[in-house]
Amino acid sequence: MSGYLEGIMVLLAVNVVFAYGGFLPLAAGQLNLGLAGFAAIGAYSSAYLSNVFKLPPLLAIAFAGIVAGTVALIVAVPVLRTRGIYLALATFALGQIVQAIILNLEIVGGAAGYPVAAFIRLPAIAATAVVVVALVWLLFATRFGIAVTAVHDDESVADLMGIDVRAFQVAAFALGSAIAGVGGGLYAHHFSFIEAQYFNISLSITIVLYVLLGGTQTVIGPLLGAAVFTLLPEVLRASANWRYVAFAAALIVLMALRPEGLVTGAQLRRLLGLARAQPRHAAVAATLPKEPSG
Amino acid sequence: MSAADPILRLDSVSKHFGGLRVVEDLNLAVRRGVRTALIGPNGAGKTTVFNLITGVFPVDAGRILLDGADITATPSRLRIGHGVARNFQNIRLMPHLSTLENVMVGQHCRNRGMGGVLQPVNLVPRNRWREAARAALADAGLIEYERSTVGNLPYGVQKRIELVRALMAQPRLLLLDEPAAGLNPAETEALQAQLEKICIGGLTVLVVEHDMHFVGALCADVIVLDFGRKIAEGSPEDIRRNPMVQEIYLGAPVAQPMERHSARSA
Amino acid sequence: MLGSIYAMVAVALTLSIGVLRFLNFSIPGLFMIGGMTAWASLRAGLRWPLAIAAALVAGAFASLVVERFTWRWMRGAQDFVPLVSSMAFLLLFEHLAVIYWGSELRTVPPLFANTDWRVAGLVISLPQLGGLVASIALIWALTLALARTRLGRGLRTIAEDSDTALLLGVEINRIVPVLFLISGLFAALAGVIFALNYRQVQPFMGEMVGLKGISAMIVGGMGSVWGSIAGGLIIGLVEVMSIGYFGADFVDIAVYGLLLLILFVRPTGLFAAAFAGQRA
Repeated sequence: MSGYLEGIMVLLAVNVVFAYGGFLPLAAGQLNLGLAGFAAIGAYSSAYLSNVFKLPPLLAIAFAGIVAGTVALIVAVPVLRTRGIYLALATFALGQIVQAIILNLEIVGGAAGYPVAAFIRLPAIAATAVVVVALVWLLFATRFGIAVTAVHDDESVADLMGIDVRAFQVAAFALGSAIAGVGGGLYAHHFSFIEAQYFNISLSITIVLYVLLGGTQTVIGPLLGAAVFTLLPEVLRASANWRYVAFAAALIVLMALRPEGLVTGAQLRRLLGLARAQPRHAAVAATLPKEPSG
Repeated sequence: MSAADPILRLDSVSKHFGGLRVVEDLNLAVRRGVRTALIGPNGAGKTTVFNLITGVFPVDAGRILLDGADITATPSRLRIGHGVARNFQNIRLMPHLSTLENVMVGQHCRNRGMGGVLQPVNLVPRNRWREAARAALADAGLIEYERSTVGNLPYGVQKRIELVRALMAQPRLLLLDEPAAGLNPAETEALQAQLEKICIGGLTVLVVEHDMHFVGALCADVIVLDFGRKIAEGSPEDIRRNPMVQEIYLGAPVAQPMERHSARSA
Repeated sequence: MLGSIYAMVAVALTLSIGVLRFLNFSIPGLFMIGGMTAWASLRAGLRWPLAIAAALVAGAFASLVVERFTWRWMRGAQDFVPLVSSMAFLLLFEHLAVIYWGSELRTVPPLFANTDWRVAGLVISLPQLGGLVASIALIWALTLALARTRLGRGLRTIAEDSDTALLLGVEINRIVPVLFLISGLFAALAGVIFALNYRQVQPFMGEMVGLKGISAMIVGGMGSVWGSIAGGLIIGLVEVMSIGYFGADFVDIAVYGLLLLILFVRPTGLFAAAFAGQRA
């Protein structure tokens, strides 16, 4: 595999992981504008663990995910007491604070950045991405997925149905942040150098935008969004800045015409042949159908 | 039939919003296993009573007892676990969940703990919770819609799905807020049949309704509210003849007003 | 000084939030457009009044584009859609600026050399004074306009209840663009003042400086013009104090830490209650 192609695939894998970091809170109805901050926590803690304690990179990255998730858990309690726009702003402030703190941490290089000694290649990165996607997919195939979507759709009815709204919101927020941390760790150990300036609000916004591009109604949406964001500009041979311009413009148009994103739940069900587009109104015998379910 | 042990009791319950007293020193009891109607003109406080029972609002005074247990201070999230489930006047299904998933939301209170959360309902083909939900849909004649997006379904179908969702919680007391509103006569009959079938199992139903014919056909007890207070209770026949009730609805006591209505809708 | 710049950005933000309930994330981008257009115009040889005018026109125009594609196009859509689109616009503006002007930090030539005055131990330069006067004057004019003119009444009606506004004959489609225009002008002018005083511009200056306007707006009270002014001054003060006590590197932590604190403790802002009757 050529170096160029490997680079693209690595970027795709990292973006996919970031995408699922953004997807978790969005699926529960929260906008986490501090994603880059959690990615930074993951990047820096994994880099520190592998540089200083000589931990194998993948282990360091796993730990880093836990660190990021734990920080998210701690701040989730006050942060998730806010709602809607206030929540988005609180996460935004959080991301800015994390970035500012890291800029001041001389132990990890401060403003000069932090070189990362250990290096991982595409197979490890791709495998991690696959594991993340599989875990999220499995999780959403359980009651967790139903509960989170219920919380997203109608908090008060979900509560009346016995769902612990706050608990699921915290869980989605913490898990998403942990995944973002893993993404940061992957990034750190392949690009060999991290700086706080990279983990800025633009990164958070970009991730949120490509998750929304793919659509947050299905588990496959974020994957598609990350893929389109990463691969389409390569296919079109766009320069780094024009790709952002095109991406932003596409998002603006998409939000106007189809805010649900590229893949919707109904569409996916139809696509997989699971639901009829129009329900039949004929009388139906009350017997269980014989085709396999699931 | 034991009249002594009501499944639901409100003792001197009051609720006001700002200066408006919506429910005023309300005392009512719903007998176990008896289909009961809660009627009254608009603004009488009926939906507020439902909201108080399910915990959407806390009471300002008084107690709510569900099957003997004092749930006055119980958080709303836990009340469905105590055995009271409801539907909503304006249907509130989850638009991003399929019909089957919406119904499975009703099971959530019975499928508790981490094992419940991680129950692979959409993963394992013959998961028992999923099968139970499918069986309930089939029972209600709605299995064909199991994977449909709820938003596109006809109004009457959505109402029945919401009912199945509430039933999945296996409640002892079912609160129905205008279940027949907006249904055509055929759908109303189907709903009536569904409700009668459910109640055979001993479920108690408390219905808020304006359709007096529906109430008369379905319920054995009727409680009348006006301005947040109970002003009458009894069988549908008693209520029809009650001059106070007639006055609220029609402005003045009238001889046999309801017969004309029932003749028309027969 | 920075306080008045933050205040201007905060006013621009607060107008959108107060009237339309819409957090306009493109405003830091408009701030940047104002600043960089001013620089580019000066570099191209325009005299300073024209350069400022060009910057304001660019900012206003960009703001109207945002209006067309975030607000106008999707009224009635889900809540978060305009916010998301405005975030996309921020990215759009930033990267277009990089394409057009390059990503380096640019220096703005000094306008009025040697016009510093000493007043009571403080050194004030003409651009500083000009910026201060301009921002005070404009904000004052805005509050007057909101209180007295038909436009102002229309805006306040929409802020109360957009459905009632329709019933009362308020022409939302005519007024909202004006709102965006005003927001854009304020943001762009803030950028110009920054450029002329701090003499540095770059495509990401919106993120560096403009975003702090959000902090100012929230601290002062979302939806309140006077709150935004207070908020701007407070944030400016917080910055100065944190530089003094903790060093320059701590500034962002202090500013955003304060934002977070306010969001936790008193999300309506410090002055929301005091200015409740004077919502934008």
